[in-house]
Amino acid sequence: MPENTQEGFIDQQKVLDNEEYSIKNTQSIIQKAVDWFRARSMFVLAYGTGCGAIEMPPIFTSRYDIERLGVVGVATPRQADILIVSGYCSYKTLKRVIRSYEQMNEPKYVIGLGSCTINGGMYWDSYNTIKKLDEYLPVDMYINGCMPRPEALIEGFVKLQDNIRNAKSEAGYIQYRENNAFYRANQEKIFGKNTTPTFEENFAGMNQ
Amino acid sequence: MIEFLKKHYEIVEKAPRLYKLQIESDKLVEILSSVSINSNFITLSQIACTDWIEDEVFALNYILTTKERDKNLMVEVRISRVHCSLPTLLNLYPQAQVMERDLHEMYGINFRGNDTLYDFALENWNEIPPLRREFDTLAYVNEHFDFRIGREDNKDVKAEVKRRKAQAKESKDGK
Ligand code: SF4
Repeated sequence: MPENTQEGFIDQQKVLDNEEYSIKNTQSIIQKAVDWFRARSMFVLAYGTGCGAIEMPPIFTSRYDIERLGVVGVATPRQADILIVSGYCSYKTLKRVIRSYEQMNEPKYVIGLGSCTINGGMYWDSYNTIKKLDEYLPVDMYINGCMPRPEALIEGFVKLQDNIRNAKSEAGYIQYRENNAFYRANQEKIFGKNTTPTFEENFAGMNQ
Repeated sequence: MIEFLKKHYEIVEKAPRLYKLQIESDKLVEILSSVSINSNFITLSQIACTDWIEDEVFALNYILTTKERDKNLMVEVRISRVHCSLPTLLNLYPQAQVMERDLHEMYGINFRGNDTLYDFALENWNEIPPLRREFDTLAYVNEHFDFRIGREDNKDVKAEVKRRKAQAKESKDGK
């Protein structure tokens, strides 16, 4: 499939959305139940990297009250299931974002909020911000807009819940584990060797 | 207060509450300490730097504010772009530390006596300081990033916007 064209990209999306190709059919009943529960309880680490962060307070407070969907904010990465990267990411921030992501327990998902995470947005020619978040972290849901309205973010959450419940596509954290070399190579491209510890370094000493 | 300063220095009134004083860089500390003792311009609110690449100089404006926050005094020094070095103002204004650190990172200016001139917002930056005008941002971005497909139909719309504005104005005037 010609992946590097617009049409190829759309074709890929179609494949992902196709029921036949989804891994849903292979799910066991227990797995289905687990996924159902998982989708109803999302603990969010909202990392306010850019201006899009300003849309998050209304979501968590009484105006939009996203807790009715089972979405709750938490204080630390270790408690969180969802990482929201809300806007442009400078190199310096990205390093902290990656650290936070790697500290989260699986299963974990990433939401990229705003055009800046998708293609650089209005910072496309900035020397200090990344252009595609999914080169460095596996993104499960992109929400476009500059900045996206809270309704858009809610829709993103609902779609993500749907994806988790129906196991539509492979979750990002599995890709991150399996294709770790790809992500690390991209991270090292901008950080040099001065990046976060590798998986092996992280887990060294765990068994001692 | 400003009258007192006007007696001693060549102060230009740029706007009703904005004054400007141009000085040599070797008199910087001396004059600023005298200003802060003899007038109520006591706060350093900003250090602004402009890169005049045509004249081979950096123009630094130390912006001082009065205690009442009602008047501003810009003290301008011009230094060469090549050996850009200035004495630090840490002893007069502690907040200069972070401002100088920022200028060091963005323009490569050395502030003698400030020992915090290491990475600030840019970590592991190996290029020339990015706000110097010889730094080609677009070339840097094209070299270091590839863009997502679809970005290329993002056309420059400036000419079109201009044309539409002119058209709207014309039709308005015609009425
Ligand atoms: S997409 Fe827009 S609102 Fe969001 S971080 Fe970028 S510039 Fe800010």
